[in-house]
Amino acid sequence: MKNTLAFAAGLVAMSASLFAHHSPVMFDMTKTQTLEGTVVEFQWTNPHSSIQLDVQTPNGVERWGVEMGSPNSMVKGGWRNNSVKAGDKVTVAVHPLKSGEHGGIFMSITLADGRRLGGRAAE
Amino acid sequence: MKRIVLAVLLAAATAGVAAQSPPPQLGALAPENLKKPRPKAPFDLSGTWQHDGRFSTWHFVPETFKLTPEAQKHYDAGVDAMKKGGVYRDDIGQCWPSGMPLIMTRVWPIAVLQVPTAIYMISAFENSIRIIYLDGRKHTPADEVVRTFDGESIGRWEGNDLVVDTIYFPGHHHWMDQGGASIPASEDLHIVERFRMINDKTFEVDYTMTDPKNWVGDWKSTKRFNRKDDTDITEVECLPDLNSHLPATSSKLLVK
Repeated sequence: MKNTLAFAAGLVAMSASLFAHHSPVMFDMTKTQTLEGTVVEFQWTNPHSSIQLDVQTPNGVERWGVEMGSPNSMVKGGWRNNSVKAGDKVTVAVHPLKSGEHGGIFMSITLADGRRLGGRAAE
Repeated sequence: MKRIVLAVLLAAATAGVAAQSPPPQLGALAPENLKKPRPKAPFDLSGTWQHDGRFSTWHFVPETFKLTPEAQKHYDAGVDAMKKGGVYRDDIGQCWPSGMPLIMTRVWPIAVLQVPTAIYMISAFENSIRIIYLDGRKHTPADEVVRTFDGESIGRWEGNDLVVDTIYFPGHHHWMDQGGASIPASEDLHIVERFRMINDKTFEVDYTMTDPKNWVGDWKSTKRFNRKDDTDITEVECLPDLNSHLPATSSKLLVK
């Protein structure tokens, strides 16, 4: 059987090149979800930084995992290891997981003081 | 007296064996090895480099390919997982090494140090190390080698090119693509690379890869790498603590 990469490559060519640690296929890159919540933890680490965020909903608190880029790439976007800390009230935009689980890939954040930071969710 | 005779005979026999054995392989960084007379290398890859994604894709799987029945099962399972929004056996995401050839085209820089006897490549991606021996040694005997995800690479200079032969892969948790074409790499994967300098800031590598357990014929591609002088590699590890914080590596969309 002769295979062509058209299907597979079409799905991942754009986004996968931005990632290295894992495949990004499970994120819905066509959707943006805005999360208002309280930072539980900010991990400044390689190969990915991350934020754990508690989001208050009518049904209770949801714990979200937000996946970010490497510190090296984030520094170029203005991030520092103290940009956010536990307890901060923030608004985070993500591309959510297709499964509906509480996780997403980072797009941007608005800090409590109104500053906005972006950054590639890459590397 | 018998003991003395026996000891003398044993010593003689041992000396005889030693005389017939080849000299032990010197380490690539042994001063005695480094100072052996050799022709001057046509180029020195020392520096920090990164794959040029504008010149070619980071993928190594060709646009069309024919798989063995066993590999086809994995590929079909990968396509099926993608149709459902999932990912089939993303072992790199679960902290298994990228291995060759994918380690070369990660979106991370590679620090390269070249000495007359070897080239040391350390990818910033999880600090994967790859060593290309240039000191004339042969591949390790198959019954001695410890198989690794970057394999064993032996290089030789051919004119202005460096030709590198890489074999001895583990044959498990090792893939030819990530999140796309789920095609495994077997223990018989064989990679031949031809390195050439394009200019001071760019080198090019022609890849020829065979793996008769997984695909028919050889896969060829050419990649370029550019100097990345504005960065250094850093310590990067894939830790369980890391993955527990990342939705992508713990999602139920993963097909393991």
